Amino acid sequence: MAHPLRDKYCIVGVGETEYSQRSGRTTRAMAVEAVKKAMDDAGLTPQEVDGLLSYHMGDSTPSTAVASDLGIRPNFFMDVSGGGSSTEALIGLAMGAIEVGMCHTVAIYRSMNGYTQVRIGGTGARASTPVSGSELLTRPYGLMSPLQRFAFAFTRHMMEYGTTSEQLAMVKVVHSRHASANPKAFKKEPVTVEDVLNSRWIVKPVAHLLDCCLETDNATCIIVTSAERARHLRQRPIYIMAVQGRGSRTFPDNPWAEAPITRIGGHYIAPRIFQMAGVGPEDIDITGCYDAFTFTVVLQFEAYGFCKVGEGGYYVSSGIIQLGGKRPNNTSGGHLCEGYTHGMNMVIENVRQLRGQADDYCPGWREGRHTYQYGPGGCRQVRDPEIAMNMGWGTPGYGSALILRR
Amino acid sequence: MPTYEYRGLILNIPEFDQEHAGYFEYARRHQLAVKRCLDCGLLRWEPGPSCPFCTSLRWEWTPVSGRGEIYSYQIVYHTVLPGFRDWVPYPIVLVELDEQRGVPTPGYGLRITANLVDEHFRPEREERVAIGARVEAVFMDLPNGLTLPQFTLSGEPPRTPLWRHKE
Repeated sequence: MAHPLRDKYCIVGVGETEYSQRSGRTTRAMAVEAVKKAMDDAGLTPQEVDGLLSYHMGDSTPSTAVASDLGIRPNFFMDVSGGGSSTEALIGLAMGAIEVGMCHTVAIYRSMNGYTQVRIGGTGARASTPVSGSELLTRPYGLMSPLQRFAFAFTRHMMEYGTTSEQLAMVKVVHSRHASANPKAFKKEPVTVEDVLNSRWIVKPVAHLLDCCLETDNATCIIVTSAERARHLRQRPIYIMAVQGRGSRTFPDNPWAEAPITRIGGHYIAPRIFQMAGVGPEDIDITGCYDAFTFTVVLQFEAYGFCKVGEGGYYVSSGIIQLGGKRPNNTSGGHLCEGYTHGMNMVIENVRQLRGQADDYCPGWREGRHTYQYGPGGCRQVRDPEIAMNMGWGTPGYGSALILRR
Repeated sequence: MPTYEYRGLILNIPEFDQEHAGYFEYARRHQLAVKRCLDCGLLRWEPGPSCPFCTSLRWEWTPVSGRGEIYSYQIVYHTVLPGFRDWVPYPIVLVELDEQRGVPTPGYGLRITANLVDEHFRPEREERVAIGARVEAVFMDLPNGLTLPQFTLSGEPPRTPLWRHKE
């Protein structure tokens, strides 16, 4: 029995700024551009948007500023603290706000100068703040960056299941091929397994430089409204079948307390989201899997049942996740190659894929005409996808998920 | 309020931070301490204000042996902390203490992060870092009065086969 809210809400508009490492402007200016583009995409006027949601890590512009700039008078607005795994969760919050009658159409955005202002990697502003509270148990040991927080679980995965650096590298290889057919991608050059293995170590044995995502400046926006309203808007409605998160594993902020430490929040979210959607992993045509690091992709595919626990290394290096494969992943290039947005761009990409409007190099992409000739400078539209899934992740313990259909 | 500088970091350990102040007080006496619930008696790490197993708010710091084994590790080649640049590559280890392994759930353990250091408190060489290696706590006394718990290889025979990444 599917959930009563299944297919009751839709994503009707998406938009983003350029993915760059030199935006040269404020997060406010970028947020406004992304929201405007998403409204234009949906065919909505500012008067028809009455809800705003954003998320931030003290590095963005609040939604009231964006509302003022665009002439939106919100009936509902909120700026939520959080990074990865927020995108899917905020889509759920938007549905909830609409469902209880607080508003009817919500623009969700994330704006960040993630390279030129506050780098997530932790160099600069974040690294120089005083250390207090539970960070006293980690930062004095030189442990601060997201990768370092994840690394103990990754090393254990290599030990327990024999996952190799070569398998991990294939995630980057595949995503880079996808990005090579994405004019928006910040890194469009296809890379090889050797390129990844020859890039310098960041944290051994779990990540070379090319196993790590980009840090970029960008804003992104997703607009959610009811299916009833969606039918009268510009684009083919993309239905929200199910959403879950942010959820967590046991001991959310002490993710090493209970073994297996390779078990992530997705382990607990998976049964809930598939039950809500009324489908299983085998029904999913394309995935958007949070690729902060090549390893996060491996652990999520296992947690959500796309492969058995321990077989994620095989799954990502078997051809399944590439364009033309059984279930392509991160067809835009994701965080590893397109740009870093804390999850937003992978949802935007899946919306475009389900519309048949992947903005690749095919001249007729706007009208849904694609060559399906995958490769650099070519097509990246998946043939006729019906159902897409996003898996969001932030810190070793938290996660969120979203299933969409056309 | 006690504030200490270490490798360019400013560490704030006020007395009212009862989650952490006691840990560093014991460290100054060269003892590794964890929290123990005064109601159900279980040890816990991290040292929060309540027992995650019975929600009791009554606790005490209690010294432990400081012995255990490396449960997982990472060798940091690129640090985001400028004060650690002269230390790379340095190991960070997740040590599972000998006390209360697999209690109260089969997966639970007192797993503490620190650096693996040699007898001069320098980063241990990476070829000596392995999952399963036996370690013991050592205490790094800083000139400013702060003592930082660290771990070093104890030389005891491992109880399980060692694992380390093969190049």
